[in-house]
Amino acid sequence: MVTEQWMIEEVLKVVPDARVEASDLHGSGDHFHVRIISESYEGVRPLQRQRPILNHFKPFIAQNTVHALDLKCMTPAQAAESGDTAFDPHGEEVEFFGVHIRRPDKE
Amino acid sequence: MAEFNWTPDELQEIVDNNRLVLFMKGTPEQPQCGFSNRASMVLQQIGEPFVSVNILSDHRAIPSVCAWSDFPTMPQIFVHGELIGGSDIALEMYESGELQQMISDGDSE
Repeated sequence: MVTEQWMIEEVLKVVPDARVEASDLHGSGDHFHVRIISESYEGVRPLQRQRPILNHFKPFIAQNTVHALDLKCMTPAQAAESGDTAFDPHGEEVEFFGVHIRRPDKE
Repeated sequence: MAEFNWTPDELQEIVDNNRLVLFMKGTPEQPQCGFSNRASMVLQQIGEPFVSVNILSDHRAIPSVCAWSDFPTMPQIFVHGELIGGSDIALEMYESGELQQMISDGDSE
């Protein structure tokens, strides 16, 4: 079991310039939604944004210290456009996908 | 059916031979995890046929798939043989239209 603060500190080791917000989805210290907002994500594909963070957390996921890690890696512009991005995988809601990410029109 | 041993070659063959592959906990009909369910719903929303692999069907599956793809969590979505990521990325790319674009781009190559 870890804390939101621990999550934030670990993510900052990987993306030092980022603004990081972590939410412990169940208060159980192992299901986290984490928003990482960084200028460095400009022009970087979604998987490539997540890879360094996932690699860092690999041992914690393997030990099941962290059971669920839902990452949202955004540029400041995307963060400004997005609403609540939290998604609870064990939530009761049956709404469309359970999350709403508003994004600027690409065109 | 021949025995399946979750070797890198066998896994690669699945994603090479199918344009959309979802490695998930459970099945689209009976998902065993909210993230897997979300990934499966995104793919169903696209309306294209996809192959789903239940990684809870064999205890060797999760470590084998994660080592092969170098991605630590489930689900994992492959488009034209390329890992795009988990359910969060699939949803993001679906909502922006990138996922649909990636599928049709691969078809025309």
